[in-house]
Amino acid sequence: MAVLKPEERRRVFERLANIREIVFGIQDGVLTTAGVLAGLSGAVSGRSQVILAALASTAAGALSMGAGAYLGTRAETEVLRSELRRARAEAQGQPYVLQESLLGALAREGLTREASYRVVQLLSSAPQALFSTAEEKIYGLGGATFGNPVAEGLLMGVAFVAGALVPLLPFIFFSSIRSGLIAGIAATAAVLFSVGYFVEGRLGDKPAWLSGLRFLCIALGAAVAGYLIGLAIAPLGTIPGS
Amino acid sequence: MLKPGDDAPPFDLPCAFDDQISHVSLDGIRSEMVVLFFYPHDFSFICPTEVVGFHKLQPAFKQEHTSIVGVSIDDAETHRRWARELGGLSYPLLADSDGRLARAFGAFDEADNVAMRAAFILDNRRKIVYAVASSINVGRSVAETLRVVRALRTGRPCPADWQPGDQLGPADLKY
Repeated sequence: MAVLKPEERRRVFERLANIREIVFGIQDGVLTTAGVLAGLSGAVSGRSQVILAALASTAAGALSMGAGAYLGTRAETEVLRSELRRARAEAQGQPYVLQESLLGALAREGLTREASYRVVQLLSSAPQALFSTAEEKIYGLGGATFGNPVAEGLLMGVAFVAGALVPLLPFIFFSSIRSGLIAGIAATAAVLFSVGYFVEGRLGDKPAWLSGLRFLCIALGAAVAGYLIGLAIAPLGTIPGS
Repeated sequence: MLKPGDDAPPFDLPCAFDDQISHVSLDGIRSEMVVLFFYPHDFSFICPTEVVGFHKLQPAFKQEHTSIVGVSIDDAETHRRWARELGGLSYPLLADSDGRLARAFGAFDEADNVAMRAAFILDNRRKIVYAVASSINVGRSVAETLRVVRALRTGRPCPADWQPGDQLGPADLKY
């Protein structure tokens, strides 16, 4: 297996930092669309109506999730950057407080106090190096902490559409609603399992089959729980005026 | 923490002084007064300000027949390297490695396992005549310690913020 250079490894880390949006988007797209298809299959007799409704739900879901990811990441990044600017201003006024904290952090990671002191002293000759090291060691902030709102929004939206297509495509290709629904639910379960299998099991280092099953159970469990809650509250009555 | 009027606990500890490792005991200090200050650690970015401050004002303390002794839980060899790092110190740094002396003065921070930032001034009978401690993040005023030494050596009541040359006695026109 080829050994990556540290710079290449960094790019891998940056790409992997977006796994959350991809997994979240696919899982939400798959389950939301499967839910819409299952619900409408019982209520609507026309196959095209079911497909149109699912397409509309997919478009709305993708836009909503993409916009949500964009706004959420943007807000998080802005707040973190603002706090970081404040921390840097404080550190410039009282560098020894930051230096002492960094010294303590390095000592806790195994360096002797004297060695930590010398490392911090060396870093202090380049304030940018001191700040970036302190940000990681003291505040726990790394490069991956600051997301790209546009990229994360796009990824989330595209992942949602990709997930939504999983239960939707069998509906388009099968002529009967019933066959389409069965195939769609089977495809949904297969994709949910595959996401867990490949993302946690293959890209991560967890047992792949177990990761796939866990992902499938959690995702389907949430869907089943939602369905059961719906059944439970149904007897409470109808909406007044409806 | 011990207070004015208490006897200073005796000690005989390894120390670093003049780039050498030796021993210092309270009985062996001949000066009229002693400033004994505790600090948390060698190789720190906060402590040097006062460690170096005492070094810079050491001639003034000497003029007042007052010895300075610094104490932390670091060992004598670490003290030696630290003093060298600071460009040499004109007073000894005592190695209170097990914190026994700091505990005897009531100046040990059990939570952080280091000595507190505490300073004591001892008179010629080695009784405590002044005691002060501050937060671990706040350095002490070396000039204030010198002012108190000078005030104590007058042997007379000194009003608030008294400085050498000011009026002695209980009168206080400042406040």
